[in-house]
Amino acid sequence: MSGPRSLVVVSAGLSQPSSTRLLADRLAAATEHELHRSGIAVERRTIELREHAQDLVGQLLTNVPSPSLQDAVDAVLAADGLIAVSPIFNASYSGLFKLFFDVIEHGALAGVPVLLGATGGTARHSLALEHAMRPLFAYLRADAVPTAVYAATEDWGQADAPADASLADRIGRAGRELAQAVTSRERTTMRDEFDDPVPFEELLRRSGST
Amino acid sequence: MQFGIFSVSDITTDPTSNTTVTEAERIQNMVAMALKAEEVGLDVFASGEHHNPPFVASSPTTMLGFIAAKTQRIILSTATTLITTNDPVKIAEDYAMLQHLAGGRVDLMLGRGNTGPVYPWFGQDIRNGIPLAIENYALLHRLWREDVVDWQGNYRTALTGFTATPRPLDGIPPFVWHGSIRSPEIAEQAAYYGDGFFHNNIFWPKGHVQQMVALYRRRYEHYGHGSRNEAIVGLGGQVFMRRNSQDAIREFRPYFDNAPVYGGGSSLERYTSETPLTVGSPQQVIERTLEFREFVGDYQRQLFLVDHAGLPLKTVLEQIEMLGEIVPVMRSEFERLRPAGIPSDPPTHASLKAARAAAAAEPLQAVAERPAAAG
Repeated sequence: MSGPRSLVVVSAGLSQPSSTRLLADRLAAATEHELHRSGIAVERRTIELREHAQDLVGQLLTNVPSPSLQDAVDAVLAADGLIAVSPIFNASYSGLFKLFFDVIEHGALAGVPVLLGATGGTARHSLALEHAMRPLFAYLRADAVPTAVYAATEDWGQADAPADASLADRIGRAGRELAQAVTSRERTTMRDEFDDPVPFEELLRRSGST
Repeated sequence: MQFGIFSVSDITTDPTSNTTVTEAERIQNMVAMALKAEEVGLDVFASGEHHNPPFVASSPTTMLGFIAAKTQRIILSTATTLITTNDPVKIAEDYAMLQHLAGGRVDLMLGRGNTGPVYPWFGQDIRNGIPLAIENYALLHRLWREDVVDWQGNYRTALTGFTATPRPLDGIPPFVWHGSIRSPEIAEQAAYYGDGFFHNNIFWPKGHVQQMVALYRRRYEHYGHGSRNEAIVGLGGQVFMRRNSQDAIREFRPYFDNAPVYGGGSSLERYTSETPLTVGSPQQVIERTLEFREFVGDYQRQLFLVDHAGLPLKTVLEQIEMLGEIVPVMRSEFERLRPAGIPSDPPTHASLKAARAAAAAEPLQAVAERPAAAG
């Protein structure tokens, strides 16, 4: 297998800088580190959803994607590995995060390895990752790795957490899992239905009328 | 090249006067638009088909039949006829009847429709959208070409010994366009039958329009109907014109900002730069429309949407008059740029009839010429 793998990072942080972006960068670095150790080059692209917020609303209301939003969506669809990080608001991922995944066609992320991350004020919201974000990616048929990383504000200052439970440990473990999933995944080229349409005789045959 | 207008028949409150036309007014307004379109020299008037408020056009052949009686020249069409939820037998009958009454000035554009509940209201399932379009059209195609049809399918009751009446005028079925925004199966379908392909072209990205038209053209050639450049393509577009472009923008903005299809989305400026919506001077509309051929190739029909978002009839008729002024300019520009051998117009009843007569005469001619060639 030749060529670098594309690692796309989607961050739904609202402020700049945001702790969501901070976590996203750390997760990406950990994944890259693991892939590099296996001799795999990585092309990383980070998408800040904040920059596409107006376009997302515009597309949902008028069906017209802006060129820059379309470019971001195309990057996600072509990713070998995806890192998706959102702040947790009112018991779930943010509305902005959902808006972005709402413009992705169902099935388009099928089989894509995804690492989930979330941030919040306190650790009390951490299971939103498992109860809200993971089902979203299950529905999209993406391949979410087992470790999802939640970073509460206090995590950024905690060096004395029990072994294997510190934020750095969790980030490392999640990065290894995503790198492993990216490495082992057969790169499937999606059949392009415009380059290679289903012949009409076949469409007629499927309809079964005579 | 044919130019025309198409209407979705929406009843939308005029945001500048806060008035709303009645159904009765909107229906008469659509008729007035069609008559104006003929008067100013446009080639096509096409009606949408909808089965829910705020739209009035549930019965296109009734309206088009009425317009046919009041016009002499304009081609009456649809944008679109729902091939998914209408019974193909009824489409065959209704449009053949319309074709007779209109003296052949009829074609139709088939589409799947974009209002989910219409499927269950008509006893269908939206998940069968593509199979319905394929099966229903395959039947419609036969009903217009075979006098007696035996047929069996999944979505309507079987037919044994059925003849759709009236038979198409002069035995020539109306020309059919297939419209779709994103479904390659429909481009494939249009190509397979050698029918026209229409892209409404209103929601870009341009790349999607290009991709669909390119697929249709390639497969049209594959199925042996002619070269890809000869395939029959139509596009939509939407315009609002005033002599001075700033006046156009000022007048159209409140309609844009409040329209059900745009309101709350991106700004007018953004939308006009990212879609074919052109709000400006007649010259800007000419230039923008001519750009379409650069990404879909030389094409045969251009329809404009001019009557939506609550625009009052007076304004709409002014728009149609301005189209009448710029169409001759666009037509001559399109024809000047069109390479030789690429059809200027889509097939019409008259051209199909002439082609059939020519084809019938050909073998006789060949026989007649043979002795001369041998000698």
